[in-house]
Amino acid sequence: MNGAHDLGGMDGFGPIAPERNEPVFHDEWERRAFALTLAMGYYGLWNIDMSRYARERMDPAAYLRSSYYEHWLHGLETLLVEQGLITREELDAREAELAREGT
Amino acid sequence: MPVLKAAHVEATLRKGGSTRVDTAVAPKFKVGDKVVVRNLNPLGHTRAPRYVRCKRGVVQRDHGVFVFPDANARGEGPAPQHVYSVRFEGDAVWGPDAPANEAIYVDLWDDYLDPA
Repeated sequence: MNGAHDLGGMDGFGPIAPERNEPVFHDEWERRAFALTLAMGYYGLWNIDMSRYARERMDPAAYLRSSYYEHWLHGLETLLVEQGLITREELDAREAELAREGT
Repeated sequence: MPVLKAAHVEATLRKGGSTRVDTAVAPKFKVGDKVVVRNLNPLGHTRAPRYVRCKRGVVQRDHGVFVFPDANARGEGPAPQHVYSVRFEGDAVWGPDAPANEAIYVDLWDDYLDPA
């Protein structure tokens, strides 16, 4: 699929600026998103290529605005819903709950 | 469904998630072969980047046999095949404005390539 993920060779985004002493995770939620993705992948309901494709199907404009682990989290949510492990309604309800708690 | 227990996390991470397989599959190309990347525009997942499609390169290394991502992403099984490191000269990809002496190496599966 030709999508926003296929950025190779595009120079309009400007030069890549590698971060000095880049940490493995920039925030605690990234660590959790990574762990959740691996833990759920262990179920064996999808493979690595399905995971990548789930990230690639993110809305292109949203994809370009979001960070690496936001792509991971979005892909995981897509797979969880598609495999019937959670419903979109459950996900939306929990997000609304967290927003009310201000976290 | 198997559950990842805390005690198994380290060993699981160290093992990694390589999609290399032991299946005996004949390679379509050998080191030194001239190839051209097919003009593929599949609706699903692919690991053939747009910027090398229809570009000519030379097989530099045969990495061995791996699961084919395009089929695997559709849940159609591994469709195992050889993956090569293909070298593209800068001007073959970017045209005459390419920096001198630039080359790009891209890992590409058999089904992405035709003889050139």
